[in-house]
Amino acid sequence: MQLNINGQSRTSTADPSMPLLWVLRDELQLTGTKFGCGIAACGACTVHVGGQPVRSCVMPVSAVANQAIKTIESLGTAEKPHPLQTAWIAEQVPQCGYCQSGMLMAAAALLDKTPNPSDAEIDAAMTNLCRCGTYQRVRKAIHRAAAAMKKGGAA
Amino acid sequence: MKRRTWLLSALGATGALVVGWSVMPARSRLGSPELMLKTQGDIALNGWIKIAADGAVVLAMPRSEMGQGVHTALAMLVAEELDVPLSRVRLEQAGADSIYGNVAMLVASLPFHPLDSEGENKPTQIKMGEWLVGKVARELGLNATGGSSSIADLWEPLRMAAATARASLVQAAATTWKVPASDITVTAGVMKHASGQSAHYGQMVAAASGSTPSGIQTKSRENWKLIGQPAPRTDIPAKVTGQATFGLDVRLPGMLFAAVQMCPMLGGSAASMDTKDALALKGVSKVVPLDAWGGGTAGLAVVGQTTWHARQGVQAVKVQWQAPDTGALDTQRIQADLLKALNEDSGFTFHEQGVPTQAEKAATTRIDALYQAPYLAHATMEPMNCTAQVKDGKVDIWVPTQVPQMARDMAAKVAKVDNDNVTVHVTQLGGGFGRRLDVDFIGQAVQVAMACEGQPVQLSWSREEDMKHDFYRPMHLAKFQASLDEKGEVTSLRIKSAGDAITPRWMARAAPHLSGPIDMPDKTTSEGLFDLPYGFASQHMSHVATKSGVPVGFWRSVGHSHNAFFSESFIDELAAATKQDPLAFRLKLLKDAPRYAAVLQLVADKAGWGTPLPAGRAQGIALHKSFGSIVAQVAEISLANGQIRVHRVVCAIDCGTVVNPGTVAQQMESSVVYALSAALFGKIDIVGGVVQQSNFSDAPMLTLSQTPVVETHIVPSTSHPAGVGEPAVPPLAPAVGNALFALTGKRQRALPLEV
Repeated sequence: MQLNINGQSRTSTADPSMPLLWVLRDELQLTGTKFGCGIAACGACTVHVGGQPVRSCVMPVSAVANQAIKTIESLGTAEKPHPLQTAWIAEQVPQCGYCQSGMLMAAAALLDKTPNPSDAEIDAAMTNLCRCGTYQRVRKAIHRAAAAMKKGGAA
Repeated sequence: MKRRTWLLSALGATGALVVGWSVMPARSRLGSPELMLKTQGDIALNGWIKIAADGAVVLAMPRSEMGQGVHTALAMLVAEELDVPLSRVRLEQAGADSIYGNVAMLVASLPFHPLDSEGENKPTQIKMGEWLVGKVARELGLNATGGSSSIADLWEPLRMAAATARASLVQAAATTWKVPASDITVTAGVMKHASGQSAHYGQMVAAASGSTPSGIQTKSRENWKLIGQPAPRTDIPAKVTGQATFGLDVRLPGMLFAAVQMCPMLGGSAASMDTKDALALKGVSKVVPLDAWGGGTAGLAVVGQTTWHARQGVQAVKVQWQAPDTGALDTQRIQADLLKALNEDSGFTFHEQGVPTQAEKAATTRIDALYQAPYLAHATMEPMNCTAQVKDGKVDIWVPTQVPQMARDMAAKVAKVDNDNVTVHVTQLGGGFGRRLDVDFIGQAVQVAMACEGQPVQLSWSREEDMKHDFYRPMHLAKFQASLDEKGEVTSLRIKSAGDAITPRWMARAAPHLSGPIDMPDKTTSEGLFDLPYGFASQHMSHVATKSGVPVGFWRSVGHSHNAFFSESFIDELAAATKQDPLAFRLKLLKDAPRYAAVLQLVADKAGWGTPLPAGRAQGIALHKSFGSIVAQVAEISLANGQIRVHRVVCAIDCGTVVNPGTVAQQMESSVVYALSAALFGKIDIVGGVVQQSNFSDAPMLTLSQTPVVETHIVPSTSHPAGVGEPAVPPLAPAVGNALFALTGKRQRALPLEV
């Protein structure tokens, strides 16, 4: 089956019922997306499918064939960071960092749809779990990125 | 007021361990250059510092980064003394020499009363205890990241190592240039002389090599440029691009994946196993029965082409599980046993002062209360995992661990090779919180790797296995009894608690060679109860150590985590019973403990204690010292739909000298959230030997929308640096519980809190 991941076409021989998470991590070596719970409860495995945030640990790979899949690896780079990544560094969000790929992908999907989210909108969209308790800084960083994107006029 | 402390228990607590930190100069941990990894172009000047050809600094890093920011803070110490920017310090995993061992952590395990064991005028027996344990710790060289001890332990040795390296480099330049060393200045790693001579460290390191200048002084604090200023963490950029390598992100050529299932009954095993269906699955190659390693439970592993294949395989194995010979565990029964132990056993006395029996006899009023706390799981975001390769008599493991030497020892034991044939590669840790002080899963990974003919294999646990096979914070019960005289003054406080001791169980399973023949008193059972700062004239604190059979471990802030809930809630009860303001009541009792009083007053001022709140809101206050740091918190709460809603938590901390204030604030926030999850939701129930909670669906954790605003205020200090990663956990539950009492008039004496 053909997968469209981070703008590249990739061929997967995976069983159709295999969750996207494991295709990304164990087959395609894209380890930025994390396993946390396996039941779509924690959001560590969040990626974008067709622009929507999706918990890849419960998403059969066959359901996303030929759709645009975006992972943390294409959100931005050290040289060309996404405004959220810049904000994440400015607010010193991550601690252990394990949940942060999922947090960032959830936040990116939120800002795509709601460029200037209120606290209530952040509460509703950001249901990812973080055991280091970085939530307060996640909120600040989303506001900061939203402001920067408004000023810069682009993501 | 005379306090009695128990030297015997002190020594016992550490398994009759190891030379006084205070009398052991930092130079003794300088180490020789041979201890560092030989790398092309770099030259080592001691056991900690190498200089690269381009002048960059390479630091041997023995401590694990699990979110607490220690890789940044420790690098700051070295950058400060070498006068290089933080970005010029690179980290390299330290080896296993004893200079890298954690002395401070073991010395801190001594059950001395803080009001006796701090400052210049310590009693002789405390000095002796610290000296002896420090010596043993130094000899043992146990490298562990835990007990919020990394900065406290490496504060002197790292600065001394860097200052010594700097002196060698400057001396080499002085000799080369034929000028006095004192005329050379260093800026950003470049040495300069007024004559116009200039060289970076890389150009002088060959000449400096082999010299060991003595009489080196570290910088005085007025000359610090980095220490005490917030520094951006060096590990963060890789953590926002998905590039950081956690244990589960290790990828090796030809690597296989393994999934596990342990016997659902703790301590049980497989009576029989039918692997036919599992082995018939595509992508599944092997089923490996697993022994019970490192205090864990036996089970099985399935090896497959991906983690998913391996997990499918686990589901397909038909197993007949059996309970352990000792019978199935049950939390309700354990709770009843603890109550019985509390009432019938005398326990070990950790602290006594005054004459409690006399005060009790003379009392006109008595206040009694029974408190309890449940078992708790760590639930690190990254479940337990280890990647192992056993090939040609050599073992390599890639593992997120807090104890690399114990990891090595476990791998060597399982593979039946010498320790020298094991290489441990420590990855980033996706959370630790004490869970990764255990090495059970490492034994499993090596056992599976031995069955994989030299191929590397990544063994990982599902969330369910992680929740059901943790080393849990032990359930504890505590009885409080206060005696009041006719004026309503509290004359005596008696505390007795019961629960499993952690340290002896951990030593027995993870470091059996250090484990004694009998359990010695364990400070972790009594910390937060025997060491209260309040000036009650008579006090007695004892603990009954039980052996429930439940695997128990170190849970962020350990005994303090539940004991502070007990003690700070009961102090609040006494304030209420004597109709005093909880802040004023505490301050009155802290006349001989000015450091505590200052932290408490600061938090009260910053939180606006005593000023009117919006309708439906209330504040609670709590104060606690752990890991050398005093933290006070005020929690502001309300009730929404019958649930506790915490709006704001103000933290004040005195943690001695601060290295990176940014990290301190991060850790206050982190601790509040971690502790609030536990206070509102946290519990583990065991029925028929089986842990009932399994995943975040039935063991909820705090989410962003439930997170209070957390404010941090640091008390300026020039004392020796103390812990930061844990000390803000203990006061949170009592602060919230006390706020709940202020709001509802109902006292909660059990965790998790209920409305």
